[in-house]
Amino acid sequence: MESNKKYWKGLEELQNTKEFVELNKHEFAEPLPIEEVLNEAGLSTITPRRDFLKALGFGLGAVTLAACQPAPIHKSIPYLIKPEDVVPGIPNYYTSTFNGHSILVKTREGRPIKIEGNPNCLLSKGRLSARGQASVLDLYDVSRLKDPMYNNNSTTWGEIDQFVKAELNKIQAGGKKIRIVSSTVNSPSTKSVITDFIAQYPNTKHVQVDAVSYTGIIKANENSFGKAVLPRYHFDKADLIVSFAADFLGTWISPVEFNRQYASNRNNTSLKNKKMSRHIQFESGMSLTGSNADTRIPLKPSEEGIALINLYNALGGNLSGGKKLTNNPNADKAITLAALELSKAKGRAVVVCGSNDVSMQILVNAINSLIGSYGTTIDLDNPSYQYAGNDAEFVEFINEMNRGEVDAVFFLNSNPAYNYVNAKEFTDALSKVKLRVSFADRQDETASLCQVIAPNHHYLESWGDANAFENYYTIVQPTINPVYNSRNAEQGLLIWSDNAVKDYYQYIQNNWTKNIFSRSNTTWKDLLQTGSVYLGEKPAGTYSFTKDLNAVAQTIVNESNALAKGGDNAVELHIYENVAIGDGKAANNPWLQELPDPVTKVTWDNFVAIAPKYAEKLGIGEFDLIEVKTGKYKITLPVLIQPGQAIGTVSIAVGYGRTKAGQAGSDVGKNAYPFINFLNGTFQTVSSATISKAGGSYELAQTQTHHSIEGRNIIRETTLKDYLKDPSSGTGHRHENKFDLWNEYDHPGHNWVMAIDLNACTGCGACVVACNAENNIPVVGRDEVRRRREMHWIRIDRYYSFNENGKSITKEKELKHLDNMDNVSVVYQPMLCQHCDHAPCETVCPVLATVHSSEGLNHMAYNRCIGTRYCANNCPYKVRRFNWFNYWNDSRFDNYMNNEFTQLVLNPDVTTRSRGVMEKCSMCIQRIQAGKLQAKMEKRPLKDGDVKVACQQTCPTNAIIFGDGNDPNSEVAQALKSERTYYVLEEINTKPGIGYQTKVRNTVEV
Amino acid sequence: MRSISLFFRSVAKSLILISSLSIAAISVVHAQDAGAGAAIFKQKCTSCHAIGSVVIGPALKGVNDRHDQAWLLKWIKNAPAMMASGDPKAKALFKQYKPAVMTAFPELSDNDIKGILAYIKAEGDKPAASANSTATDASTGGKSGDVSDFMLAGLIAVIIIAFLVILVLNRVISTLERILLQKQGLAEEKEVEEGDKDRFAGLKKLSKNKKFIFFVVLLAIIFLGSVGWMGMWETDIHQGYQPVQPIKFSHQLHAGINKIDCQYCHTGAYKSKNASIPSLNVCMNCHNYVQATDKYNGEISPEIQKIYRALDYDPKTKQYGPNTKPVEWIRIHNLPDFAYFNHSQHVGVAGVKCQKCHGPIETMPEVYQYSPLTMKWCINCHKETEVNHKGNAYYDKLIAAHEQLKKGQKMTAAVLGGIECGKCHY
Repeated sequence: MESNKKYWKGLEELQNTKEFVELNKHEFAEPLPIEEVLNEAGLSTITPRRDFLKALGFGLGAVTLAACQPAPIHKSIPYLIKPEDVVPGIPNYYTSTFNGHSILVKTREGRPIKIEGNPNCLLSKGRLSARGQASVLDLYDVSRLKDPMYNNNSTTWGEIDQFVKAELNKIQAGGKKIRIVSSTVNSPSTKSVITDFIAQYPNTKHVQVDAVSYTGIIKANENSFGKAVLPRYHFDKADLIVSFAADFLGTWISPVEFNRQYASNRNNTSLKNKKMSRHIQFESGMSLTGSNADTRIPLKPSEEGIALINLYNALGGNLSGGKKLTNNPNADKAITLAALELSKAKGRAVVVCGSNDVSMQILVNAINSLIGSYGTTIDLDNPSYQYAGNDAEFVEFINEMNRGEVDAVFFLNSNPAYNYVNAKEFTDALSKVKLRVSFADRQDETASLCQVIAPNHHYLESWGDANAFENYYTIVQPTINPVYNSRNAEQGLLIWSDNAVKDYYQYIQNNWTKNIFSRSNTTWKDLLQTGSVYLGEKPAGTYSFTKDLNAVAQTIVNESNALAKGGDNAVELHIYENVAIGDGKAANNPWLQELPDPVTKVTWDNFVAIAPKYAEKLGIGEFDLIEVKTGKYKITLPVLIQPGQAIGTVSIAVGYGRTKAGQAGSDVGKNAYPFINFLNGTFQTVSSATISKAGGSYELAQTQTHHSIEGRNIIRETTLKDYLKDPSSGTGHRHENKFDLWNEYDHPGHNWVMAIDLNACTGCGACVVACNAENNIPVVGRDEVRRRREMHWIRIDRYYSFNENGKSITKEKELKHLDNMDNVSVVYQPMLCQHCDHAPCETVCPVLATVHSSEGLNHMAYNRCIGTRYCANNCPYKVRRFNWFNYWNDSRFDNYMNNEFTQLVLNPDVTTRSRGVMEKCSMCIQRIQAGKLQAKMEKRPLKDGDVKVACQQTCPTNAIIFGDGNDPNSEVAQALKSERTYYVLEEINTKPGIGYQTKVRNTVEV
Repeated sequence: MRSISLFFRSVAKSLILISSLSIAAISVVHAQDAGAGAAIFKQKCTSCHAIGSVVIGPALKGVNDRHDQAWLLKWIKNAPAMMASGDPKAKALFKQYKPAVMTAFPELSDNDIKGILAYIKAEGDKPAASANSTATDASTGGKSGDVSDFMLAGLIAVIIIAFLVILVLNRVISTLERILLQKQGLAEEKEVEEGDKDRFAGLKKLSKNKKFIFFVVLLAIIFLGSVGWMGMWETDIHQGYQPVQPIKFSHQLHAGINKIDCQYCHTGAYKSKNASIPSLNVCMNCHNYVQATDKYNGEISPEIQKIYRALDYDPKTKQYGPNTKPVEWIRIHNLPDFAYFNHSQHVGVAGVKCQKCHGPIETMPEVYQYSPLTMKWCINCHKETEVNHKGNAYYDKLIAAHEQLKKGQKMTAAVLGGIECGKCHY
């Protein structure tokens, strides 16, 4: 009946002025003075009767009038000409590639909204990392450039091309050098474009440099075996893994692949075959990998080299420089033990080292040769191309610039002004270059020093390819029209080098036809469907190490002495990459910033990690600000007390302290890259430093401490020895309840349940980000995390435990009183709504907003919820989250949902929740419903695996299994039958729908 | 209120319809064979020809003058044969409009063709302006309902209340005055009142009866309360909502008279959550040549022209231009917030007819919201409707399992969990 007339209240609304739009977003013009009200007389003031009645009357009238609104006018705008493959409401999936991993991109109505691993991918087998999951958000990042830039002004592509080409011609005539600086390029087509560019401008050289470098391993392999490659590691073939500070589950080379391999020897299947690998980790800071190790020994960076020499000698070598580690007897014992075990596991073991020092890596090669790793657990003939940076070449490039030999430089996916060890040296040298071009997608630290910024596409907008390891080629295909006015960097290089093929898409096709399709039976169409081509594995040769090691040992000893010589006042500083932010490229991704660090659970900041005992000795408390200083650089950061950190060391993560990352990522934490040293031809992440109190403190936003477990026995673990005797050891005695206050629920149709294997879960956090993307979970920011208001539906709880002399303590508060906390061990437990059959939350909801379903799920009806928060209060698992704000319509939370671009990433099948309602894990009910509907439409029963929840789908180790418990053959029903299964807080009879399998440790008594 | 005006509107519409039909009928009587010709023309010719403009074949206005009737009779009956025989006129026409070839119509009698030609002549002679004037009439007529019913009702209510208040106040003033006078001992006026006493005696007596007053007030409160209560329940229910759409698309014509299947345009209904409004390329499948020129005096229908404008399509050159502009339809069926609805589940799996929720859509010249779209309405249907499980293997196990629990009960959607919160709210 109502007409579609528009009503307005004032001119500003009619004209829709900026101020009005802004003010309209807030429900209140200024923040609510809640604090004042609470602090002052506030609640005890007396309201006169007349005022009260006035307010009441006005309120009633206002509500009545508000209810009389005419029908809202929603526009419905169909396609003018609908693309044939798009059906509104049905997602399309396209193959593409993220960091060399083949992926599937889910698009709705032409916009990518979620990324999944491609089951065909040889690296990930359909799984994906947290960073891969989060990469879809970068596509809509508002901090990206909207247009190409010339001298800080927006310009057109035509003008850019004209300018760059004219300059290049001049430089060519002048005969000076041209440099293309990039992080590792493994894309065959990009490489070919650069080769063509070099052919056109012969003075050009391509310099590859990675922020976190693997040059040490590549150089060492060149030195040892004449093969300058990064080998492929096969942790699945290793029964014994000895790692020296290599965080291979978190960040080292190819973590998703390594997680999968690692878990394959520790999961349910492996345990049923009575087999489990053993993992010994030596490291200074507590890394994700170290926290998963069966035996973890804290080791100072200066002791690392010596320990390697000792290990080599214990395995039968004879090197000078080995000595007893007098300050660290545990490490000495462990080295002896490791040597013993390694010699027993020849051909089934691997030793890895995270150092970027060539000498150390040569020694590791020698050890691996002794234990017969080459050809079994390490493959040099099918190398990995994930990293190929050369540190020395980059340093030489800076010298060239300083000498005035370079006239043009192009930065492709590279940001040395931020991550080079001496940014000022780089900046000064760069100013001597005439033509500076950056392909950065934003005005980052390096791009803002360039005359020309030619913004590159996000990978979801562009064509491209990758070659992650020998003979494995994957394709990048666009899934959306460019969001901003960007262009493929390669396209620019083609145009500027007057290439015969001007179109990069055509170029890639030509390149594949020439080099790859000719060697396989695939076509372009096959490729787009499967996403990759594998040309087969070459036979892995065995290599034995024959070089002389004495010079190497001498270098190691010298470096160790240099690190240790600082004396008592000095600490050894260890610079590392953390799981979420990595090298800082994706620092502007709010999902990653809010993903808690797996070990420390810190969000939105980096910090100085320090051992409890050592901190006590220095008189430093948690969150105290301290200054860390080396000869060339100093920063002030808050302290985090980290059990398991080696005494006398501190650890700081890189990737923070970006100044020009964008809205979310700028000025988060401090930059630690300048602490890195260029030594013996590589960038080294350890150095000697001094620390001093800077005064004041700074509260880090941590998530873990938000809930107390009240000393309850939530984690169950056992040892391999006990497990082999009794598979159900450690699960505790099962509670048989003789009577029950509640009626049983029937689950006649489906019964959705989950099994989580604590022994497979490594705590990497991919599930958390996958859940964020799938369920439109808001990002709340640092302050709100401090107020314990993070919204993650799934969290990974990290529990420390202490095992020595039969004493075992699980309560966090008691840990503080322990003398020696070097020997903590860690268990990760993904915690999400348990979908209890007798859910405590359901019985206390006064409005029946959370109720049980016939399929075993605990439903949450947002439009019924009135926000009493009784349910959260009554939930023993603390998994319910309350919406304190309208996160999607509040300018205080500007970094994600409250933005017309980033909103495009929201999943249209899941509502965004409004302020004042409770939310929690729904077991991806939208996926369950979609899976059921698909089966109904195809008139077939639902198959196991038809419905996969987001956390399960991305989990690199397959630790999370979900399915129909009523189907006895389903994977989840089988998993729950395992003897290791226990239910968290079973004793309070909540009948949870999620069964956990005990953590098993493969410990060996010395 | 709404339903009353809805009723009036429909009555007015049918009146207009009847009157326009009778006017049309009168004009048709005027030339009988042209009338028969019109029917054949629409059936056989309109896919390629229009009176005033070139479609696939030439514009037919003045065809009687261009060719003699004998030639036309032969040509229309079997054009390909004439071209084969080498008739110069036929060859010239083919040259002009190739590759399109005039179809042969051997089934038409000479009289039929003469009828068609008479119709073309009659149509061609009509002045062009009349079509335009009717179009503008229609557009002004559409805007008549500008002052909403709610505002009118509100105004009336305010006037009535104001009147009542004045009455009551008057009464109070007079009573007070009387009391004042009584107190001062001035009761002279009493006698004056005596005369009127008889007339209002009964009422006055009643008004002093406290029980009666209480009863009246109670009734009034109950009445107003229940009206208010019912009104509150109607909040945000927009049954009958019928916004003015950018194109006057008639489901009555397309789905009702022309019997085009719903799925032809709403392709998503069987496979997706959204039934989806068709994109304009679907419209163009027919409206490439269906231009309703006969109704608009040889001009293309102004509504169809809107499609062309949106696509920047030039019907003369048959070229698409770059200045496209999407059509902004106004959504009629707005589901409440936080509710998930999937068309394919209902239409595809359950086999629910479109009309069950959308009403007699094939009779609606303009679509309105037929169902209330409330949760009660959803749930009632889920409680009553038996699940369409025959021949669907998905349900086999499920039904068997439920059968054990609920022996003999009707297997409705609700029994299978169709009224659980999380099935629609997530």
